[in-house]
Amino acid sequence: MSARPPEIITLAIDGKEVAVPKGTLIIRAAEQLGIEIPRFCDHPLLDPVGACRQCYVEVEGQRKLMTSCTTPVAPGMVVRTQNTSEQAREAQEAVLEFLLLNHPLDCPICDRGGECPLQDQALAFGPGESRYVEPKRTFEKPIALSPLVALDRERCVLCARCTRFCDQISGDRFIELFDRGAAEQVSIAPGEDFRSPFSGNTIQICPVGALTAVPYRFVARPFDLKTADTVCPHCASGCNLRVDLRRGEVVRHLARDSYEVNDAWLCDKGRFAFRFADAPTRLTHPLLRDPGLEPASFGEVFARVGTWLEDGPGRVAFLTGGRLMDEDYYALSKLARTVFRTNDLDHRRYRSGDVPEAVERAAAASVTITYRDVERAGAILVVGLDAEQELPILHLRIRKAARRGAAVFVLNARRTRLHDVAEHVLCPPGAEAGFLERIAGARGEGDAFGRARAALEAAGEGAVVLAGPRLAEAAGGVGRAASLAAGVGGRFAFLARRANDRGALRAGVHPGLLPGGRRVADAGERAEVERAWGLPEGSLPDGPGRDGAAILEAAARREIDVLFLVGVDPLRDFPDAALARRALENVPHKVVQDISSDAMAIYADALLPAAAYLEKDGHYSDWEGRGQRLRPVRAAPGIARPDWEIFAGLARALGGELGFDSLDSLHEEMGELLGPREVDWRPSGRSSAGPALGETGEDLVLFTYPLLVDEGRLSWGAAELKEALEEPVTLEVHPEDAERLGLEDGGRARVASLAGEATLPVRITSTVARGSAFVPFNNPGLAANTLLSGRFHVPVSVAPAGGEGEAEARGVEEVAS
Amino acid sequence: MSVLTPELRRESEEIAARYPTRRSALMPLLYLVQSAEGWVSREGLQEVADVLGITTAEVEAVATFYTMFRLEPAGRYVVSICTNLSCALRGGKALYERAHELMGPGAEQVTEDGMLTLHEEECLGACDAAPLVQVNFANYDRVTEEGLAELIEALRRGDPPPPSRGEHPGDLKATSRLLAGLGPEGASE
Ligand code: SF4
Ligand code: SF4
Ligand code: FES
Ligand code: FES
Repeated sequence: MSARPPEIITLAIDGKEVAVPKGTLIIRAAEQLGIEIPRFCDHPLLDPVGACRQCYVEVEGQRKLMTSCTTPVAPGMVVRTQNTSEQAREAQEAVLEFLLLNHPLDCPICDRGGECPLQDQALAFGPGESRYVEPKRTFEKPIALSPLVALDRERCVLCARCTRFCDQISGDRFIELFDRGAAEQVSIAPGEDFRSPFSGNTIQICPVGALTAVPYRFVARPFDLKTADTVCPHCASGCNLRVDLRRGEVVRHLARDSYEVNDAWLCDKGRFAFRFADAPTRLTHPLLRDPGLEPASFGEVFARVGTWLEDGPGRVAFLTGGRLMDEDYYALSKLARTVFRTNDLDHRRYRSGDVPEAVERAAAASVTITYRDVERAGAILVVGLDAEQELPILHLRIRKAARRGAAVFVLNARRTRLHDVAEHVLCPPGAEAGFLERIAGARGEGDAFGRARAALEAAGEGAVVLAGPRLAEAAGGVGRAASLAAGVGGRFAFLARRANDRGALRAGVHPGLLPGGRRVADAGERAEVERAWGLPEGSLPDGPGRDGAAILEAAARREIDVLFLVGVDPLRDFPDAALARRALENVPHKVVQDISSDAMAIYADALLPAAAYLEKDGHYSDWEGRGQRLRPVRAAPGIARPDWEIFAGLARALGGELGFDSLDSLHEEMGELLGPREVDWRPSGRSSAGPALGETGEDLVLFTYPLLVDEGRLSWGAAELKEALEEPVTLEVHPEDAERLGLEDGGRARVASLAGEATLPVRITSTVARGSAFVPFNNPGLAANTLLSGRFHVPVSVAPAGGEGEAEARGVEEVAS
Repeated sequence: MSVLTPELRRESEEIAARYPTRRSALMPLLYLVQSAEGWVSREGLQEVADVLGITTAEVEAVATFYTMFRLEPAGRYVVSICTNLSCALRGGKALYERAHELMGPGAEQVTEDGMLTLHEEECLGACDAAPLVQVNFANYDRVTEEGLAELIEALRRGDPPPPSRGEHPGDLKATSRLLAGLGPEGASE
């Protein structure tokens, strides 16, 4: 879709000329001149409504004052704001006086006090004193709209920002304006919670203290807070956020406006899961096993690691999570290859074998698609992704695109919350390639495949195919998705899920890729890295490394001597709990480097304390590959430090040298290798279509993925969030399968795979694909990876079980013992 | 115990299918519920939400905005008396108070005989006929106090006099059914 440049219109505001695109609202045009018109209901990301009347201006030639937030500019228009029009000023004063008629004198006990648009604008534009003496409207206060959001109705100015957000942005219309006239109020329907993973945004855009955050109520005053701008540590959406600290403790996350990334929004996890960095399990000092875990210095730990390697570099491997900084991953990538001379390092937890190299290399080398491309797309195909749960802000962008007219299709094993704006094709997990093939091969058929194909084709370069990380597990899936995008001349993204998975890939925390997507297997590309690192040609290890799953397998087979676990808990994160346990039991030396110790402490031979996101200076790369700066707001506890510093120290202690001792020198070196490079993401040749899911001999294919709010470590302490949004574990089964297997809705089923078995409450729903069943990955009562053996889907036998109640699970090993 | 019986569910689907977007059937479906219950209960709101695939909050926002929907049990005839400016100037407020006396206790909810509900209404857009009284949406123009007393008597007998224009008002259930877009006998057009 080629955008025609919009017509430009010139007008005068307060005697100053301004030129803006046709359709611009007066209030926006005034902003461009630096003229502030007071407002309550206006919000640049919501449709204009003209509810509060605060933004009156005089427009020459109009008999009445106009609301500048609803009136588009016209050529030659002459506008006078409160600065130059007495009439506008008086009207604004009058409106403010009206708005304050029913507003309580609550400021001293209101969370918003000190950062309240009503306070600020009443001071700046109000009459100063009220003439009103009659009783004010009162309500029971506050009412809980959800465990996260409280409403003090008497403070509400009925601007409808909150309700418009839920209508136009999230689509979760659980709050509405009820009643009319003097009785009008924001409300939920009794018995229906404000159950939206975006609910917190309404609090932030409420221009008064009517909506407040339960976790922040009465916690702090703005002048108490220490604040820094940083990036959300939770997912790869890359939301720009502000962290607020009171007496050194995190008390709040707020969204920062960033129209390139998160617009002005956060999901509720990013907003409310902020206590984990203050957990009592935070590591503050290194610990060494002796035989209990005893405090030690970094030097002592490094020396101990040295003794484990006395007979040469040994068999060392590295597993990481997805939430270190670019700088950390880069240092690790260099450490593993130059000091330990190994390519056994990985950050991925999805079985990687089937992702075309071109796709990963391109993602590591440059930015090929952005939020903006999604927003402006003509057609979007989402494959193997539950965007609301996995990349919430990307989900909002897809919704925004749909509102702008994009045709959206979702190919997934489970219906997603895009269901009201997208056509869904439910596809059994693992069989995506065959379905993609059908879309690619469709020629004018009137079914969903035909419609998807036609829409993508019509959109051309405005076609976008978004592939979730799980698609890596479907034979041929990622390749098919990329070919489909390439075939119509559109764009493609193989998405990252965790906050800096993409940075790990860029840095080469990957068995086959060096920094910048350079191939281990390519002598020329290896040499580029060797030159940058000042190494003699041929000195980097050139044998293919092991991926995450292979590292665990090798560890379980006692082929690894030292395993570094950096910001990862394989017992919980990997789709094979039994393998992870065997690996941990069979590796003689385990170094755990993390912000807190948790479950890994019993396995660790050494624990190294790392700084958390709010204590670090560096970058995250979001799913687009956009690098964004994190700024520290406090010092790390004890002697914890950023991961890259630990890696540099370890290298030095082992007689190596990473070559940087400051962030500046590190950045300089990274700049050399990580600058954007041209790599074509289009898979060459035809990737093999995956086999259609044949007879597995089992009843169903069980699939799972982590939901947004779960028992993950980063949700530690987020009790209100969990109460509001965490789903209980149920086995979701299609009605036809339920009938065949004799399952009842609300009854229980015994699910058994080769890895383990569980008894789970059943929910019958046509929102999962026939032949498959869904459980959340890590919700209370079931660690789903005890049922998995290496992939996030697994064949299971399913039979009705008696009794009722919550989930129970056992691994096979436990069953046997 | 659902409000919408299988037959009414079928009719809901029929109504919803008349609109390019299902959500547009919201008001007709609220009338349909009112035609079944004689008012719109909380269950009724939830079932409308269910049929349309929207939230109960959306349904309730509409139902609480429009005064045509009775959210508490109502009599067979809702007597709405306008007390806005034009009508007030022509005695609307006095009429309303008189109606209160005539209907007796519970007038604003349901009269003891279950026949009537009194409702103080905002401008009905018929100011030229002030003071205006509506019975189940049928207008009675320029009503006097005597006229009001006769009207109420007739309604108590279940025998409304002809309105100033249009059809005799049916009882609330029948009228709501018409407004749902369904014929009196359940015929679909
Ligand atoms: S609660 Fe806040 S955002 Fe919602 S209508 Fe009231 S003032 Fe506006
Ligand atoms: S969408 Fe992702 S990055 Fe944004 S606030 Fe939520 S968890 Fe954080
Ligand atoms: S800001 Fe313009 S009417 Fe509210
Ligand atoms: S004021 Fe009564 S109908 Fe208009």
